[in-house]
Amino acid sequence: MSPAERRLRAVTDAAERWTDADFPPRVRATRALIARTGYTEPVVDYALDRLFGALGREALRATIEGELGSLAALDGFVARAGRPDVAYRGLAHVAIVSSDTTIGVAVFPLAFALCAGSHVTVKDRDDGLIAAFGETLGQELPELGERFASGIWDGSDEITSRAMLGAADAVVAFGRAETLSAVRALVAPEARFLPFGHRTSAGFVAREALADETRVRACADGAARDALLYDGEGCLSLHALFVERDGALEAATFARRVATACDVAAIEFPAGYDELDAAVVAYRRAALFRAAQGRGEALAGITAPHLVVFDPPTDEPPPLLRRTLAIYPVDGPADALAFLRRHALPLEALALGAPPRADVEEFALACGASRIAPFGSLQDPPLGGEHGGAGRILPFVRAIYRA
Amino acid sequence: MTDAAGRALDDAFLALVRAWAAGGEGCDEAAFDAHARATFAYQFERNEPYRRFARAQGVTAGRAPRTWREIPAVPASAFKDATLATFDPLAAELVFATSGTTAATAGKHYIERAALYDASLLAGFDRFMLPDRPKLRYLNFVPNPRFRPNSSLGYMMGHVAVLRGDGKAAYFLDDDRVDVGGFAKALDAACGQAQPVCIAGTAFAFAALLEELERDARTFAAPAGSRVMETGGFKGRARVVERAELYARLAHALGIASEAIVAEYGMTELVSQYYDAPRSRGSEPRVKVAPPWLRSLIVDGDGREVPAGETGFLRHVDLGNRSSAVAVDTEDRGYRVEGGIVLLGRDLDAPARGCSLDAEALLAGPFVPTLSS
Repeated sequence: MSPAERRLRAVTDAAERWTDADFPPRVRATRALIARTGYTEPVVDYALDRLFGALGREALRATIEGELGSLAALDGFVARAGRPDVAYRGLAHVAIVSSDTTIGVAVFPLAFALCAGSHVTVKDRDDGLIAAFGETLGQELPELGERFASGIWDGSDEITSRAMLGAADAVVAFGRAETLSAVRALVAPEARFLPFGHRTSAGFVAREALADETRVRACADGAARDALLYDGEGCLSLHALFVERDGALEAATFARRVATACDVAAIEFPAGYDELDAAVVAYRRAALFRAAQGRGEALAGITAPHLVVFDPPTDEPPPLLRRTLAIYPVDGPADALAFLRRHALPLEALALGAPPRADVEEFALACGASRIAPFGSLQDPPLGGEHGGAGRILPFVRAIYRA
Repeated sequence: MTDAAGRALDDAFLALVRAWAAGGEGCDEAAFDAHARATFAYQFERNEPYRRFARAQGVTAGRAPRTWREIPAVPASAFKDATLATFDPLAAELVFATSGTTAATAGKHYIERAALYDASLLAGFDRFMLPDRPKLRYLNFVPNPRFRPNSSLGYMMGHVAVLRGDGKAAYFLDDDRVDVGGFAKALDAACGQAQPVCIAGTAFAFAALLEELERDARTFAAPAGSRVMETGGFKGRARVVERAELYARLAHALGIASEAIVAEYGMTELVSQYYDAPRSRGSEPRVKVAPPWLRSLIVDGDGREVPAGETGFLRHVDLGNRSSAVAVDTEDRGYRVEGGIVLLGRDLDAPARGCSLDAEALLAGPFVPTLSS
């Protein structure tokens, strides 16, 4: 077995162990994640299932082969059609800073960097999820354990941060703009820097999706799940949903269907909090007042703290609040694009709920999202997708060509 | 022209204010209740947006609130979304613009008769800021009412300065810029004349003032009897410091004892104001008190009153709001204590745990170009 194959198998074997909800390290991590994030157990379980379930052997292999041409290129030169032979070497040292993120965001880059053969240092969160996964990696293949290190330190501690990041050949950082700026300042001049900032996600329901009950249900149920998972705090959380007017189902009726679906989704994924934020309360009250004036609707959860607002003012950005979804009736994708541009909303993903239509596809390509997904799967990104528009393993390797 | 019912309510309100200003008790629960419900009934008839909202809350002409506690409260944001007036707003004697910190556009509070605002303001200010009735010099870090007539804070301090000041009031705030040099000169002059001053401003402006004074190691010894009125908080501004720390620094820089630094709590959407209770000024937490025509409930996110002592959102019922909406819901958190309320402000929301964009970050744009996360 080649070294690259050995590393790939060890990574996926470790991930497979973590897909078992009764795996003791996972049980402990689940408790720690609940304590850190405040999310409920079903939400944390969902996150861990998706995270480690996505790290399947074939998916990982296909992703690496898709980007590098072959797994063997990590072990030596391989021939390429019409181009010089190439080999890829993992960067010596990769650092990953996970900050202000939901659950296990460092796992995928860690997996790819280890597959590349890099040494990886991860700034972990208090829950210690990455450290625990690192232990499993070491059990599967001691070499991986030796190449992996994690730590928890205060990001404002510049001396420690510099020591951990300054020597890295690539730094992956997640967080707010100020966090990213601070990290960037510590990165060596020639090192690669991959900043992943805070973003949001949107959806578009074309009138074709409103034509039959099956699609309506799929869109409504999916949108509810996309909006409520992780209490609406992830960059893949749905916050703005555009619905075309003049469909077989009125946009307002569809909004009510989404609200009902949210009531159901809130049973599967209960909120991790009881007390509403002041900002949510203010938004809810404002929406109720506007609704009383005949402007839109405010559809609050029956027993849970979510809110669907139909037809909110378009001169305001969407409510980027926990478990709060704004639904905008639009004449077409051009309206949606204008709204997104007007508010300069940086999109991570766009959910679509209809068969392909040229103008909708054009909108999807223009809206700034790096991922287009069906409703209900926004929070379940595949391993093989280009995270944030960038490659998965390419950032952690150096190409050497022979010509 | 105010209609007869409105005039009757105004007369009753002004009589109440006068009685209290003269040292009376003000109004008891029953009198407050009757006046509040009468005001609401008046508004229900004449203020269409409020009527629509109240109806949506289950209130009809035949099913009126049974007590003042049941009066539907409009959210403060409603002043942006609708014209909340019982009269033709073109006839308003005062129009105040809300700060618009959380919305794209500012709202407006139309006040039909300035006399109500003025009476309420002066009675409260006299009682809580000027119990010793001094003639102070007003050095203001609030918008100059001459240039910003729609600022309620500017109007308030301008009115007080004219009626209670020594005639040499000055303003040192121009948009967000504080004129530290001008202020220092004015305070030096007051010190030279042994003229006590009232320095009024927002926490944000004071923070900016202190930054400059401390940078230059500049301190003052304000004349005896001087005081500070702090108001307005930071309202989403970047420069946030703890209030206790702010007061300690102000006391040191200005030579004014912390006990003479008084927080005023008011809103553009209200006619009346809260102030720190005199007996609580030397300790924490400070307790806010208001004139008897302004009462507040502590409610949860769904508008239900919370048990005594528990934290919730403040809902104000201000009898001075005769010409707009008598009950206003706020995003300010607080809790009730004996004799008043403790204000906790707006910064208590749980910190975001995920990588979602939030409104603060959006407003802080433009974005650092990043990969999506």
